[in-house]
Amino acid sequence: MEDIIALLKENVIQGRKTKDDEGVDGDSIGMPGVIELTQLALESNIPPEVIIEEGLTTGMQVVGDKFAAKEYFVPDMLASAEAVSGAQDILKPYLEDSDAMSKGKFAIATVKGDIHDIGKNIVATLLKGAGYEVDDLGINIPPEKIVEYVREYKPDFLGLSALLTTTMLAMGETIEALKENGIRDSVKVLIGGAAVSEEFAQQIGADAYCVDGFHAIKVLEEFQKVKA
Amino acid sequence: MLIIGENINATGKKIAEAIRTRNSSFLQELALAQVAADYLDVNVGGGKGSTEQEIEDMKWLIDIVCEVTDKPIVVDSANPEVIEAGLEQGISLRAERSNRVVMINSVNAEKAKLEAIGPLAAKYQVGVIALAMDDNGIPPRVEERIRACDTILEGLSYYNIPAKKIYFDPLVLPIGVDTTQGQVTLKTLEQIKARYPEAKTTVGLSNISYGLPQRVAINDVFLLMLMYAGLDSVIVNPLRSSTIGSIKLGEMLIGKDAHCKGYLKAYRRGLFNK
Repeated sequence: MEDIIALLKENVIQGRKTKDDEGVDGDSIGMPGVIELTQLALESNIPPEVIIEEGLTTGMQVVGDKFAAKEYFVPDMLASAEAVSGAQDILKPYLEDSDAMSKGKFAIATVKGDIHDIGKNIVATLLKGAGYEVDDLGINIPPEKIVEYVREYKPDFLGLSALLTTTMLAMGETIEALKENGIRDSVKVLIGGAAVSEEFAQQIGADAYCVDGFHAIKVLEEFQKVKA
Repeated sequence: MLIIGENINATGKKIAEAIRTRNSSFLQELALAQVAADYLDVNVGGGKGSTEQEIEDMKWLIDIVCEVTDKPIVVDSANPEVIEAGLEQGISLRAERSNRVVMINSVNAEKAKLEAIGPLAAKYQVGVIALAMDDNGIPPRVEERIRACDTILEGLSYYNIPAKKIYFDPLVLPIGVDTTQGQVTLKTLEQIKARYPEAKTTVGLSNISYGLPQRVAINDVFLLMLMYAGLDSVIVNPLRSSTIGSIKLGEMLIGKDAHCKGYLKAYRRGLFNK
């Protein structure tokens, strides 16, 4: 059993979704990838929680470290996240049975006036890989739409993205709109994007500024600790 | 190949600061350093102050840049009022200086944008960079980008702007996120050239290499592929000798450099020794 989990973790790090994938080191084509190993783990009666925590999540942590150290680049990280996401799709039905639900609901949007979605999509992929239920609202989303969404779907976290100095101001407007509607405290607001900063996050009253997707995962873990 | 120098852009913090403090010598040096450029793009940023402030910044910036160089100016802003102020400043400088504001950066297929920029391009008789995108952002596929270009061509023709004044930008998305995007840009460019043979094309390159190591090498090679597909102009940092070298080599290899003169001139001036 430990062998399967260790292999799973290694293949997450390698970014090998299936047996046909090359992986970072490039010498394991034909060997089982994350999808095959996840199935094998289930067949071997390894609990899905163990598969996720010890295989997928620890693997992604290593990927995050390698990314931070500039050993890994964006495509490496996306390959790993896609592999994990594929494994989660397989595990989902088992998880709902055993009531080990997601770490929380994370809604993400690019704010009003801004149509840049590359960074937002990467963050969404990574958070999904980290076990959050991610709802991507899209680009150019006005404050009133976000208020409506938060009221109806009650996400635990709200991620706001903006690339431009012109559009980052809409982040503040969005937070104001949440306040005016009395739902600001129902959701933690995280912001990110090339134009924004820690300082700006404090200015507009966001709960956190995230440099990138891996940083967002760390920030969310801190929130979980505080909650617990 | 028309080289548009991108270095005077207030998205860079140093440059924003220099504009704010009216540090003209710093900005004039940036202008002078871009010898390899044919045109200079000028951008004062936006969003942090009022439109009035941006208008003042743009007029001042064009004025001090034109003081030291006679290269034509591309006025770059998301705000049509700021663009108009830049175009107007270009006219008012005509008596004393030889520069011209020759191009607007940019328009796209959004109705409001077309209605704001179209009349300006017509009134001031300048070229216009047209991004192959609409209200919903950058379309991931070729067909939708071409549809955006059709909308732009039609929208601008209403103001009697001829196709030859339009520089279509097929747009570039990161190859590291979606490996089909190199081909999407190349095919969009090819189709623009086939559908509107009179129109010109330009591109801002650097998005292609986002998230990858060796970004300059990726940008330079992609630039060569785009040149083969018919690219007429590029928005780059003209201080980067490898990029200017790629352009010289590319022009020679696709037969746009009679007797290889441009390449040899660059060689003799030591461009490839750097």
